[in-house]
Amino acid sequence: MIRLFKNSKISWTQVETGSSITWKYPGCVLVGDNSQGEFYSVALTNNYQQTDTGSKMSHVGKNTRSRIVSKGISAGNSKNTYRGLVTVNRKAIGARNYSQCDSMLIGDLCGANTFPYIEVGNKSATVEHEASTSKIGEEQLFYFLSRGIDSEEAVSMIINGFVRDVFMHLPMEFAVEATKLLGLKLEGSVG
Amino acid sequence: MIINNAETILSVQELNASIDDTQILNGFDITVKAGEIHAIMGPNGSGKSTLAYSIAGHPKYSVTGGSVTLDGVDVLEMSVDERAKAGLFLAMQYPVEVPGVSVSNFLRTAATALRGEAPKVRTWVGEVKEAMSKLSIDPAFSERSVNEGFSGGEKKRHEILQMELLKPKIAILDETDSGLDIDALRIVANGVNKLKSKDNAVLVITHYQRLLDYIVPDFVHVLIDGKIVKSGTKELAYELEEKGYDWIKEELV
Repeated sequence: MIRLFKNSKISWTQVETGSSITWKYPGCVLVGDNSQGEFYSVALTNNYQQTDTGSKMSHVGKNTRSRIVSKGISAGNSKNTYRGLVTVNRKAIGARNYSQCDSMLIGDLCGANTFPYIEVGNKSATVEHEASTSKIGEEQLFYFLSRGIDSEEAVSMIINGFVRDVFMHLPMEFAVEATKLLGLKLEGSVG
Repeated sequence: MIINNAETILSVQELNASIDDTQILNGFDITVKAGEIHAIMGPNGSGKSTLAYSIAGHPKYSVTGGSVTLDGVDVLEMSVDERAKAGLFLAMQYPVEVPGVSVSNFLRTAATALRGEAPKVRTWVGEVKEAMSKLSIDPAFSERSVNEGFSGGEKKRHEILQMELLKPKIAILDETDSGLDIDALRIVANGVNKLKSKDNAVLVITHYQRLLDYIVPDFVHVLIDGKIVKSGTKELAYELEEKGYDWIKEELV
């Protein structure tokens, strides 16, 4: 847990391709007025991996803001769950939160879940949550293939497009590595 | 243009194809030689798109009989990307959106795949710019996500842009005219005409004769119930425009 004081800001970006089972819930307590917390995450699971991760944002101070962007990719037989908690205290006047959780499925043996927990204690808060789940489309894949791009490269490009909102917050060197890492982890996951 | 003794680029023989166990193509035949432009016209549900997709190898369509060869090589044995590498290009009627993948990245990856090596950055940038200006595409376009939020005209221009850069031996245009206003139609048709040479060929699939005013075909074929029932020159297209398809159906009975 990170405590943020007056006018402070943290922006958190993570990429995890993790262990067999991952539970992780990093959080920010927005104590000071006008403090801001941002959390950008990409979680990739393959084979029989399971992840249950998410971010906590506790709004305590006035006009505190938070933003969560979470992208989950599941391949193989894996399960990828987002479990987030956004709380807004009674005195956190004017607090704002925006959460976006997108999941992408590769193949038909994997699963994705989104459990957004939201607790709001005052009327002036604005809390938004958006979620989507999609499957790598046959049509998208066909489009790439029909231009001569092979299926591994196609999947990697589609996935990297999917996570772009998060990767653009990474420093360039890390973004390049993360892109490569996703490719490696997904190797062979599309027939 | 019709060239004497030209080599056959695409040959389709007795092609049968189905989607979800419904047979759509019934012994479809066509031979396209280098330098030629063929147009395939037909009413809704006659199998036009099925033809385009089965040649390109879409997994939803299954070929149940017949043969397709490109430069004498069996196409049906190839995977979809191998077909593209062999020189087949399908300009799609409804190209799909791919969020987060920029047009420039997509074009470059495709060109790399087809040419066997990454194009040199220096020449590539110029090449793309030139191709885009020919099609009156705004340079800012290359930073947008593939087909995401494109207007109908932009999607079609993007298809032709790819054709321009990938330089296929045979291009199949699947209803490229649908959803285009007259200006966009002219731009797209000009793009196709400029690309046309004595070494490649184009197969235009369309509902309306309108596109054929701009891309003038050497042959016009009428597709009904999954097979070609009549072939002719471009006058046939005018006749169809005037009289519809019913008279051909009646002729058949």
